[in-house]
Amino acid sequence: MRTAHSRWRKWQANVGWGASWLATALVLFGLADLVITIVGRGAVSFRWSMLTHVIQSTPSGLQNAILGTLELVVLATLMAAPLGILGGVYVSEFAPLQVAKTIRFLTEVLSGVPSIVVGYFGYLLMVLAWGWKFSALAGGFALTVIMLPYILRNTEASLQQVPLSLREAAWGLGMTRFQAISRVIWRPAASGMATGVLMAIAIGMGETAPLLYTAGWSSVNPNFQLVHSQVGYLTYVVWTYIEQPYESAHQLAYSAAFLLLLVVLFINVVVRALLTRRSLRG
Amino acid sequence: MSQPISVHNLKAWYGTQLTLKSVDMELPASQVTAIIGPSGCGKSTFIRCLNRLHETLPGARVEGDVHLGTQDLYKVDPVDVRRMIGMVFQKPNPFPTLSIFDNIALGLRLGGVHNRGQLREAVERSLQMAALWGEVKDRLSEPATSLSGGQQQRLCIARAIAVQPEVLLMDEPASALDPVSTLRVEELVEQLKDTYTIVIVTHNMQQAARVADETAFFLNGEVVEFADTTTIFTNPTDKRTEDYITGRFG
Ligand SMILES: Nc1ncnc2c1ncn2[C@@H]1O[C@H](COP(=O)(O)OP(=O)(O)OP(=O)(O)O)[C@@H](O)[C@H]1O
Ligand SMILES: [Mg+2]
Repeated sequence: MRTAHSRWRKWQANVGWGASWLATALVLFGLADLVITIVGRGAVSFRWSMLTHVIQSTPSGLQNAILGTLELVVLATLMAAPLGILGGVYVSEFAPLQVAKTIRFLTEVLSGVPSIVVGYFGYLLMVLAWGWKFSALAGGFALTVIMLPYILRNTEASLQQVPLSLREAAWGLGMTRFQAISRVIWRPAASGMATGVLMAIAIGMGETAPLLYTAGWSSVNPNFQLVHSQVGYLTYVVWTYIEQPYESAHQLAYSAAFLLLLVVLFINVVVRALLTRRSLRG
Repeated sequence: MSQPISVHNLKAWYGTQLTLKSVDMELPASQVTAIIGPSGCGKSTFIRCLNRLHETLPGARVEGDVHLGTQDLYKVDPVDVRRMIGMVFQKPNPFPTLSIFDNIALGLRLGGVHNRGQLREAVERSLQMAALWGEVKDRLSEPATSLSGGQQQRLCIARAIAVQPEVLLMDEPASALDPVSTLRVEELVEQLKDTYTIVIVTHNMQQAARVADETAFFLNGEVVEFADTTTIFTNPTDKRTEDYITGRFG
């Protein structure tokens, strides 16, 4: 009886393990397939001349999309990073409990909104109502909305990890709450906050949906005007050119994906390095 | 120069739990007062009420009054209170990412001292007083975390006295230290008491006997007995004090 029971349990355990292995393998397989396809096709399609030519020239290139992505992400980071960090500091250090809860809730909601909705809302508000047309600023704002919750939550979480004993050391010395945060408490949290900003940049860089309705698309280099002028970006190339029936278009799409992958990979390596440095310091 | 602290009908809560039940004490100026008592009796809570750190915890509350000299500490800005009353914690808590020098200079800078010469002088003086100067004078720019636990605790003492408070609170300052560092801290307390009113929490009865002029025995959030140290240790009036110091409980 007992052996039958234990055999049954063992069998259950085996099935459990088997299922988890299978699930893991499926995910890994999908990921590997994605990476191999992008790297394989991207590496052979990529030409250095793509960095110096816009998409409509001969040979065709990605310069306009690269510069456009850069412009949009820089704009969005300039808005999202200070706002997110200040917001995170406020929620963690200053906000009354109820206010903190409300902001946390709103942040959750914001990060749960599908990015296409963010894009469409931006379209109605900025592109149409405010008359900005498809523009860098509208795209930048849409990305800001995507990036802000990551930065805010990461900042708050990093600050929350700073031990109470350190805060008490600062307060015990007669520092105001503001002095304590600006002179002492932010320091151990700095690499965590930087991580949040970098992750947000990586996420913003990979977004397509919020930009489709806000930044528009341009096949020439951005003129760095904030409004009334459309901007191209790498994810748009991936998204549309892969559907076109020409090999040259496919090459551009794979190269754009390849570049994005490289940049995101690079950001992740930097993030890892920041995190290990933090855990080494203890 | 230093001033006495008088505590009247002090009560402290954590949430709804009453932890200090009406404490009355007169802590004399330029003397060392030791607080002894079993774990959880409210020693830390008591001294954290003196520099108004208790009330920073969510849900924590204080009632009653504390005077430093003639000043009602619960009627002034807590930030000012903590500038007058320095604190050394049980676990060394130097600012981890700042250098040894900056750990001490920060409080001075916030107090308005920016002249480099003055800063150096004050840093050296505090480190001398904390008996740490000799060990760190060649490595002032290294991070504070590169010091040993005992050195970190003496750094924290130096940090607290650098800003020249009037009172120094020490919550088991030697509990994480080896015997040599402990001795150093005790010598330091001896030296500092001319300039500061010192309150020291300790679990070590010999330590209380060695350093304190007065000793208070706490039990369950109340002061059972408060008298000069010799009396407490040789001729206590309360049976519970006697039981505690002879090791019959606690
Ligand atoms: N942050 C807190 N939240 C809730 N209760 C607390 C908190 N800190 C202390 N207490 C409670 O208050 C009582 C007194 O604690 P306190 O830290 O003052 O004791 P203590 O005499 O310093 O003890 P020890 O010698 O162990 O340091 C204890 O019963 C403890 O459980
Ligand atoms: Mg304690």
